[in-house]
Amino acid sequence: MAARCVRCHAVLYQNRPASLARASALSLASLLLMVIVYWFPFLTLEYNGILTRLNPAQAAWALYEQGDWPVGLGIGLFTVLVPLFMAGGLLYVCGPLMAGYAAPGARTIAKWMHRAEPWNMIEVFLLGVLVSLLKLWHMAHLEFGSGFWAFAALMLCMAGALAAIDRNELWDRLEVAKS
Amino acid sequence: MKKDCPKPSRGIEHGLAGCHSCGKVSPVSKGHCPRCGSHLHLRKPDSIRRTVAFLIAAVALYVPANLLPVMVVYEIGVTTPTTIVAGMIEFWKSGAYPIALVIFTASLLIPILKIVALTWLCAAASGKLHPSPWVLGKVYFLTELFGRWSMVDVFVVAILVGLVQVGAYTTIVPGPGVLAFASVVVMTMLAAMSFDPRLLWDRFDDLDVVSPDTKKDD
Repeated sequence: MAARCVRCHAVLYQNRPASLARASALSLASLLLMVIVYWFPFLTLEYNGILTRLNPAQAAWALYEQGDWPVGLGIGLFTVLVPLFMAGGLLYVCGPLMAGYAAPGARTIAKWMHRAEPWNMIEVFLLGVLVSLLKLWHMAHLEFGSGFWAFAALMLCMAGALAAIDRNELWDRLEVAKS
Repeated sequence: MKKDCPKPSRGIEHGLAGCHSCGKVSPVSKGHCPRCGSHLHLRKPDSIRRTVAFLIAAVALYVPANLLPVMVVYEIGVTTPTTIVAGMIEFWKSGAYPIALVIFTASLLIPILKIVALTWLCAAASGKLHPSPWVLGKVYFLTELFGRWSMVDVFVVAILVGLVQVGAYTTIVPGPGVLAFASVVVMTMLAAMSFDPRLLWDRFDDLDVVSPDTKKDD
Protein backbone atom coordinates (compact mmCIF):
# COMPACT_ATOMS: atom_id res chain seq x y z
CA MET A 1 0.00 0.00 0.00
CA ALA A 2 1.17 3.47 -0.73
CA ALA A 3 -0.10 7.03 -0.28
CA ARG A 4 -0.44 8.66 -3.67
CA CYS A 5 -0.78 12.23 -4.86
CA VAL A 6 -4.45 12.96 -5.69
CA ARG A 7 -3.45 14.84 -8.83
CA CYS A 8 -0.54 13.08 -10.52
CA HIS A 9 -0.75 9.70 -8.70
CA ALA A 10 2.96 9.72 -7.86
CA VAL A 11 3.82 7.68 -4.75
CA LEU A 12 4.18 10.02 -1.77
CA TYR A 13 4.81 7.56 1.03
CA GLN A 14 5.22 3.84 1.21
CA ASN A 15 5.62 1.65 4.24
CA ARG A 16 8.13 -1.06 3.43
CA PRO A 17 8.48 -4.18 5.58
CA ALA A 18 11.50 -4.43 7.92
CA SER A 19 12.82 -1.26 6.32
CA LEU A 20 15.68 -0.44 8.73
CA ALA A 21 16.88 -4.03 9.02
CA ARG A 22 16.87 -4.51 5.24
CA ALA A 23 18.61 -1.21 4.54
CA SER A 24 21.30 -1.98 7.15
CA ALA A 25 21.84 -5.58 6.04
CA LEU A 26 22.03 -4.79 2.33
CA SER A 27 24.29 -1.76 2.83
CA LEU A 28 26.63 -3.87 5.00
CA ALA A 29 26.62 -6.52 2.24
CA SER A 30 27.44 -3.78 -0.30
CA LEU A 31 30.43 -2.64 1.76
CA LEU A 32 31.75 -6.21 2.04
CA LEU A 33 31.30 -6.71 -1.72
CA MET A 34 33.32 -3.53 -2.33
CA VAL A 35 36.21 -5.12 -0.45
CA ILE A 36 36.01 -8.14 -2.80
CA VAL A 37 35.78 -5.87 -5.88
CA TYR A 38 39.09 -4.19 -4.99
CA TRP A 39 40.86 -7.16 -3.39
CA PHE A 40 40.39 -9.71 -6.18
CA PRO A 41 41.00 -9.42 -9.95
CA PHE A 42 38.20 -7.59 -11.73
CA LEU A 43 39.12 -7.73 -15.43
CA THR A 44 42.24 -9.40 -16.81
CA LEU A 45 43.36 -8.83 -20.39
CA GLU A 46 45.80 -11.23 -21.98
CA TYR A 47 47.57 -9.98 -25.08
CA ASN A 48 50.62 -11.74 -26.50
CA GLY A 49 51.34 -13.25 -23.10
CA ILE A 50 51.18 -9.92 -21.26
CA LEU A 51 48.58 -9.64 -18.50
CA THR A 52 46.86 -6.34 -17.65
CA ARG A 53 44.49 -6.05 -14.69
CA LEU A 54 41.84 -3.38 -14.23
CA ASN A 55 39.18 -2.50 -11.65
CA PRO A 56 36.84 0.56 -11.63
CA ALA A 57 39.23 2.66 -9.52
CA GLN A 58 42.12 1.83 -11.86
CA ALA A 59 39.97 2.79 -14.89
CA ALA A 60 39.43 6.22 -13.31
CA TRP A 61 43.15 6.43 -12.48
CA ALA A 62 44.14 5.51 -16.05
CA LEU A 63 42.34 8.56 -17.43
CA TYR A 64 43.80 10.74 -14.67
CA GLU A 65 47.32 9.55 -15.54
CA GLN A 66 46.78 10.19 -19.25
CA GLY A 67 46.10 13.83 -18.42
CA ASP A 68 42.29 13.70 -18.68
CA TRP A 69 41.91 14.38 -14.95
CA PRO A 70 38.38 15.91 -14.97
CA VAL A 71 36.90 12.77 -16.54
CA GLY A 72 39.05 10.52 -14.33
CA LEU A 73 37.76 12.37 -11.28
CA GLY A 74 34.17 12.05 -12.53
CA ILE A 75 34.49 8.31 -13.08
CA GLY A 76 36.08 7.90 -9.64
CA LEU A 77 33.11 9.75 -8.12
CA PHE A 78 30.38 7.94 -10.07
CA THR A 79 31.69 4.38 -9.66
CA VAL A 80 33.79 4.38 -6.47
CA LEU A 81 33.24 7.29 -4.06
CA VAL A 82 29.49 7.90 -4.42
CA PRO A 83 28.59 4.17 -4.07
CA LEU A 84 30.94 3.95 -1.06
CA PHE A 85 29.32 7.01 0.53
CA MET A 86 25.79 5.73 -0.18
CA ALA A 87 26.42 2.27 1.32
CA GLY A 88 28.46 3.55 4.27
CA GLY A 89 26.05 6.40 4.95
CA LEU A 90 22.98 4.17 4.83
CA LEU A 91 24.54 1.71 7.30
CA TYR A 92 25.71 4.54 9.58
CA VAL A 93 22.23 6.12 9.63
CA CYS A 94 20.01 3.00 9.66
CA GLY A 95 22.04 0.76 11.99
CA PRO A 96 21.74 2.95 15.14
CA LEU A 97 18.15 3.85 14.18
CA MET A 98 17.16 0.21 14.76
CA ALA A 99 17.88 0.87 18.46
CA GLY A 100 16.15 4.26 18.25
CA TYR A 101 19.32 6.33 18.17
CA ALA A 102 20.48 8.92 15.63
CA ALA A 103 24.24 8.66 15.16
CA PRO A 104 26.19 11.96 15.36
CA GLY A 105 25.82 13.80 12.07
CA ALA A 106 23.20 11.34 10.79
CA ARG A 107 20.93 14.16 9.60
CA THR A 108 23.70 15.82 7.57
CA ILE A 109 24.64 12.47 6.03
CA ALA A 110 21.01 11.67 5.18
CA LYS A 111 20.71 15.04 3.43
CA TRP A 112 23.85 14.44 1.36
CA MET A 113 22.78 10.88 0.52
CA HIS A 114 19.67 12.30 -1.11
CA ARG A 115 21.83 14.68 -3.18
CA ALA A 116 24.37 12.01 -4.13
CA GLU A 117 21.90 9.33 -5.19
CA PRO A 118 21.51 10.27 -8.90
CA TRP A 119 25.31 10.18 -9.31
CA ASN A 120 25.64 6.52 -8.31
CA MET A 121 26.35 4.84 -11.67
CA ILE A 122 27.36 1.27 -10.82
CA GLU A 123 24.91 -0.30 -13.28
CA VAL A 124 26.04 2.00 -16.10
CA PHE A 125 29.67 1.02 -15.50
CA LEU A 126 28.64 -2.65 -15.69
CA LEU A 127 27.12 -2.02 -19.14
CA GLY A 128 30.37 -0.27 -20.06
CA VAL A 129 32.33 -3.40 -19.12
CA LEU A 130 30.13 -5.50 -21.43
CA VAL A 131 30.55 -3.07 -24.35
CA SER A 132 34.35 -3.05 -23.81
CA LEU A 133 34.35 -6.83 -23.79
CA LEU A 134 32.71 -6.85 -27.22
CA LYS A 135 35.24 -4.30 -28.51
CA LEU A 136 38.25 -6.32 -27.33
CA TRP A 137 36.80 -9.74 -28.18
CA HIS A 138 38.74 -10.10 -31.43
CA MET A 139 42.15 -8.81 -30.43
CA ALA A 140 42.72 -10.22 -26.95
CA HIS A 141 41.55 -12.65 -24.32
CA LEU A 142 39.52 -10.99 -21.58
CA GLU A 143 38.75 -12.71 -18.30
CA PHE A 144 36.23 -11.79 -15.61
CA GLY A 145 37.58 -12.27 -12.09
CA SER A 146 35.76 -12.64 -8.76
CA GLY A 147 35.94 -8.86 -8.41
CA PHE A 148 33.69 -8.48 -11.45
CA TRP A 149 31.05 -10.86 -10.11
CA ALA A 150 31.20 -9.10 -6.75
CA PHE A 151 30.58 -5.84 -8.64
CA ALA A 152 27.51 -7.33 -10.32
CA ALA A 153 26.23 -8.48 -6.91
CA LEU A 154 27.08 -5.02 -5.51
CA MET A 155 24.77 -3.46 -8.11
CA LEU A 156 21.87 -5.64 -6.89
CA CYS A 157 22.62 -5.08 -3.19
CA MET A 158 22.90 -1.31 -3.61
CA ALA A 159 19.61 -1.18 -5.52
CA GLY A 160 17.97 -3.29 -2.78
CA ALA A 161 19.47 -1.19 0.04
CA LEU A 162 18.32 2.10 -1.49
CA ALA A 163 14.83 0.73 -2.21
CA ALA A 164 14.51 -0.78 1.29
CA ILE A 165 13.46 2.42 3.03
CA ASP A 166 11.20 5.27 1.97
CA ARG A 167 12.90 8.68 2.24
CA ASN A 168 10.00 10.09 4.30
CA GLU A 169 10.09 7.12 6.67
CA LEU A 170 13.84 7.54 7.19
CA TRP A 171 13.35 11.21 8.09
CA ASP A 172 10.31 10.49 10.29
CA ARG A 173 12.44 8.05 12.26
CA LEU A 174 15.40 10.45 12.43
CA GLU A 175 13.07 13.15 13.75
CA VAL A 176 11.95 11.13 16.77
CA ALA A 177 15.30 9.38 17.38
CA LYS A 178 17.38 10.06 20.50
CA SER A 179 20.77 11.52 19.73
CA MET B 1 -11.82 9.98 -2.93
CA LYS B 2 -11.15 12.01 -6.05
CA LYS B 3 -14.78 13.15 -6.24
CA ASP B 4 -14.46 14.69 -2.78
CA CYS B 5 -11.63 16.93 -3.87
CA PRO B 6 -11.99 17.86 -7.55
CA LYS B 7 -9.43 20.64 -7.13
CA PRO B 8 -7.00 19.71 -4.38
CA SER B 9 -5.80 22.40 -2.02
CA ARG B 10 -2.18 23.29 -2.74
CA GLY B 11 0.59 24.11 -0.31
CA ILE B 12 1.62 27.19 -2.28
CA GLU B 13 -1.80 28.78 -1.54
CA HIS B 14 -1.15 28.43 2.19
CA GLY B 15 2.52 29.38 2.12
CA LEU B 16 3.55 25.79 2.88
CA ALA B 17 6.69 24.32 1.34
CA GLY B 18 7.71 20.70 1.06
CA CYS B 19 11.41 20.45 1.91
CA HIS B 20 13.51 19.46 -1.15
CA SER B 21 15.77 17.31 1.04
CA CYS B 22 13.59 15.52 3.59
CA GLY B 23 10.04 16.15 2.38
CA LYS B 24 8.70 17.75 5.59
CA VAL B 25 5.99 20.34 5.01
CA SER B 26 6.56 23.62 6.87
CA PRO B 27 5.57 27.30 6.46
CA VAL B 28 7.97 28.80 3.91
CA SER B 29 8.31 31.91 6.14
CA LYS B 30 10.50 29.85 8.51
CA GLY B 31 13.29 29.99 5.92
CA HIS B 32 14.92 26.71 6.96
CA CYS B 33 13.47 23.24 7.37
CA PRO B 34 13.06 22.53 11.12
CA ARG B 35 13.89 18.85 10.54
CA CYS B 36 16.96 18.82 8.28
CA GLY B 37 18.03 22.47 8.09
CA SER B 38 17.78 22.88 4.29
CA HIS B 39 16.58 26.12 2.70
CA LEU B 40 12.82 26.13 2.13
CA HIS B 41 11.40 27.12 -1.24
CA LEU B 42 7.84 26.93 -2.55
CA ARG B 43 9.30 25.89 -5.91
CA LYS B 44 12.86 25.10 -6.94
CA PRO B 45 14.57 28.53 -7.19
CA ASP B 46 15.02 30.00 -10.71
CA SER B 47 13.94 26.61 -12.03
CA ILE B 48 13.31 27.48 -15.69
CA ARG B 49 16.27 29.87 -15.99
CA ARG B 50 18.70 27.33 -14.53
CA THR B 51 17.33 24.50 -16.67
CA VAL B 52 17.65 26.60 -19.83
CA ALA B 53 21.22 27.61 -18.92
CA PHE B 54 22.28 23.98 -18.44
CA LEU B 55 20.50 23.03 -21.69
CA ILE B 56 22.38 25.70 -23.68
CA ALA B 57 25.65 24.37 -22.25
CA ALA B 58 24.63 20.81 -23.18
CA VAL B 59 23.75 21.78 -26.78
CA ALA B 60 27.03 23.68 -27.19
CA LEU B 61 29.06 20.73 -25.88
CA TYR B 62 27.14 18.19 -27.97
CA VAL B 63 28.96 19.38 -31.13
CA PRO B 64 32.57 18.80 -29.96
CA ALA B 65 31.43 15.66 -28.12
CA ASN B 66 30.53 14.05 -31.43
CA LEU B 67 33.10 15.67 -33.74
CA LEU B 68 36.23 15.25 -31.61
CA PRO B 69 37.78 11.80 -31.10
CA VAL B 70 36.93 10.19 -27.75
CA MET B 71 40.01 8.01 -27.98
CA VAL B 72 43.09 7.53 -30.11
CA VAL B 73 44.40 4.04 -30.90
CA TYR B 74 48.15 3.70 -31.58
CA GLU B 75 48.95 0.44 -33.32
CA ILE B 76 52.58 -0.14 -34.37
CA GLY B 77 53.08 3.27 -35.95
CA VAL B 78 49.47 3.69 -37.10
CA THR B 79 47.35 6.31 -35.32
CA THR B 80 43.56 5.95 -35.47
CA PRO B 81 41.34 8.59 -33.81
CA THR B 82 37.86 7.25 -33.00
CA THR B 83 34.66 9.21 -32.45
CA ILE B 84 31.53 7.86 -30.75
CA VAL B 85 29.71 7.54 -34.08
CA ALA B 86 32.69 5.76 -35.68
CA GLY B 87 32.76 3.24 -32.82
CA MET B 88 29.06 2.60 -33.32
CA ILE B 89 29.41 2.13 -37.08
CA GLU B 90 32.27 -0.33 -36.49
CA PHE B 91 29.98 -2.47 -34.31
CA TRP B 92 27.23 -2.29 -36.94
CA LYS B 93 29.59 -3.34 -39.77
CA SER B 94 30.95 -6.27 -37.77
CA GLY B 95 27.41 -7.52 -37.33
CA ALA B 96 27.04 -6.70 -33.62
CA TYR B 97 23.67 -5.02 -34.20
CA PRO B 98 22.31 -5.15 -30.62
CA ILE B 99 25.40 -3.48 -29.16
CA ALA B 100 25.40 -0.88 -31.98
CA LEU B 101 21.78 -0.10 -31.07
CA VAL B 102 22.64 0.16 -27.36
CA ILE B 103 25.39 2.70 -28.13
CA PHE B 104 23.16 4.57 -30.58
CA THR B 105 20.42 4.82 -27.94
CA ALA B 106 22.64 5.67 -24.96
CA SER B 107 25.10 8.02 -26.63
CA LEU B 108 23.18 9.75 -29.42
CA LEU B 109 19.45 9.34 -28.92
CA ILE B 110 19.08 9.83 -25.14
CA PRO B 111 21.03 13.14 -24.95
CA ILE B 112 19.04 14.56 -27.89
CA LEU B 113 15.71 13.32 -26.53
CA LYS B 114 16.58 14.76 -23.10
CA ILE B 115 17.40 18.16 -24.57
CA VAL B 116 14.18 18.16 -26.64
CA ALA B 117 12.07 16.95 -23.69
CA LEU B 118 13.44 19.54 -21.25
CA THR B 119 13.04 22.34 -23.82
CA TRP B 120 9.43 21.25 -24.25
CA LEU B 121 8.94 21.13 -20.46
CA CYS B 122 10.43 24.62 -20.04
CA ALA B 123 8.27 26.02 -22.84
CA ALA B 124 5.16 24.47 -21.25
CA ALA B 125 6.08 25.65 -17.75
CA SER B 126 6.64 29.22 -18.94
CA GLY B 127 3.30 29.29 -20.79
CA LYS B 128 4.55 29.11 -24.39
CA LEU B 129 2.98 25.70 -24.94
CA HIS B 130 -0.07 24.07 -23.45
CA PRO B 131 0.82 22.40 -20.16
CA SER B 132 -0.56 18.90 -20.06
CA PRO B 133 0.84 17.81 -16.69
CA TRP B 134 -0.22 14.18 -16.99
CA VAL B 135 1.78 13.58 -20.16
CA LEU B 136 4.63 15.96 -19.34
CA GLY B 137 4.97 14.58 -15.82
CA LYS B 138 5.72 11.18 -17.35
CA VAL B 139 8.12 12.77 -19.83
CA TYR B 140 9.99 14.34 -16.90
CA PHE B 141 10.07 11.03 -14.99
CA LEU B 142 11.58 9.21 -18.01
CA THR B 143 14.09 12.03 -18.56
CA GLU B 144 15.39 11.63 -15.00
CA LEU B 145 15.36 7.82 -15.24
CA PHE B 146 17.39 7.34 -18.44
CA GLY B 147 19.77 10.30 -18.33
CA ARG B 148 22.60 8.51 -16.52
CA TRP B 149 22.88 5.71 -19.08
CA SER B 150 24.50 8.08 -21.59
CA MET B 151 27.64 7.87 -19.46
CA VAL B 152 28.29 4.33 -20.74
CA ASP B 153 30.64 5.41 -23.56
CA VAL B 154 32.77 7.43 -21.15
CA PHE B 155 33.22 4.30 -19.02
CA VAL B 156 34.08 2.27 -22.13
CA VAL B 157 36.87 4.75 -22.99
CA ALA B 158 38.23 4.55 -19.43
CA ILE B 159 38.22 0.73 -19.47
CA LEU B 160 39.92 0.54 -22.89
CA VAL B 161 42.53 3.14 -21.90
CA GLY B 162 43.23 1.25 -18.67
CA LEU B 163 43.41 -2.19 -20.27
CA VAL B 164 45.11 -1.59 -23.59
CA GLN B 165 48.56 -0.37 -22.60
CA VAL B 166 50.42 -3.28 -24.11
CA GLY B 167 53.96 -2.00 -24.41
CA ALA B 168 54.88 -0.80 -27.87
CA TYR B 169 52.31 -2.85 -29.76
CA THR B 170 49.02 -1.15 -29.04
CA THR B 171 48.12 1.80 -26.83
CA ILE B 172 44.83 3.63 -26.40
CA VAL B 173 44.78 7.17 -25.02
CA PRO B 174 41.73 9.34 -24.29
CA GLY B 175 40.80 12.02 -26.85
CA PRO B 176 39.46 15.52 -26.16
CA GLY B 177 35.92 14.38 -27.08
CA VAL B 178 35.50 12.33 -23.95
CA LEU B 179 35.55 15.38 -21.65
CA ALA B 180 33.01 17.15 -23.90
CA PHE B 181 30.82 14.05 -23.97
CA ALA B 182 30.91 13.50 -20.20
CA SER B 183 30.08 17.20 -19.77
CA VAL B 184 27.00 16.84 -22.02
CA VAL B 185 25.71 14.04 -19.77
CA VAL B 186 26.43 15.99 -16.56
CA MET B 187 24.81 19.16 -17.99
CA THR B 188 21.61 17.34 -19.03
CA MET B 189 21.45 15.67 -15.59
CA LEU B 190 21.84 19.06 -13.85
CA ALA B 191 19.18 20.51 -16.19
CA ALA B 192 16.73 17.75 -15.25
CA MET B 193 17.46 18.24 -11.53
CA SER B 194 16.88 22.00 -11.78
CA PHE B 195 13.46 21.63 -13.37
CA ASP B 196 10.44 21.67 -11.05
CA PRO B 197 7.53 19.66 -12.54
CA ARG B 198 5.10 21.41 -10.17
CA LEU B 199 5.45 24.51 -12.39
CA LEU B 200 3.41 22.62 -14.99
CA TRP B 201 0.58 22.18 -12.48
CA ASP B 202 0.81 25.85 -11.48
CA ARG B 203 0.41 26.83 -15.13
CA PHE B 204 -2.41 24.31 -15.52
CA ASP B 205 -4.26 25.83 -12.55
CA ASP B 206 -3.88 29.31 -14.03
CA LEU B 207 -5.78 28.09 -17.10
CA ASP B 208 -8.67 27.26 -14.74
CA VAL B 209 -10.06 24.43 -16.83
CA VAL B 210 -12.04 21.49 -15.48
CA SER B 211 -9.59 18.80 -14.57
CA PRO B 212 -10.18 15.69 -16.73
CA ASP B 213 -9.12 13.73 -13.68
CA THR B 214 -12.52 14.35 -12.06
CA LYS B 215 -14.30 12.86 -15.06
CA LYS B 216 -12.35 9.71 -15.70
CA ASP B 217 -12.28 6.48 -13.65
CA ASP B 218 -13.78 6.02 -10.11
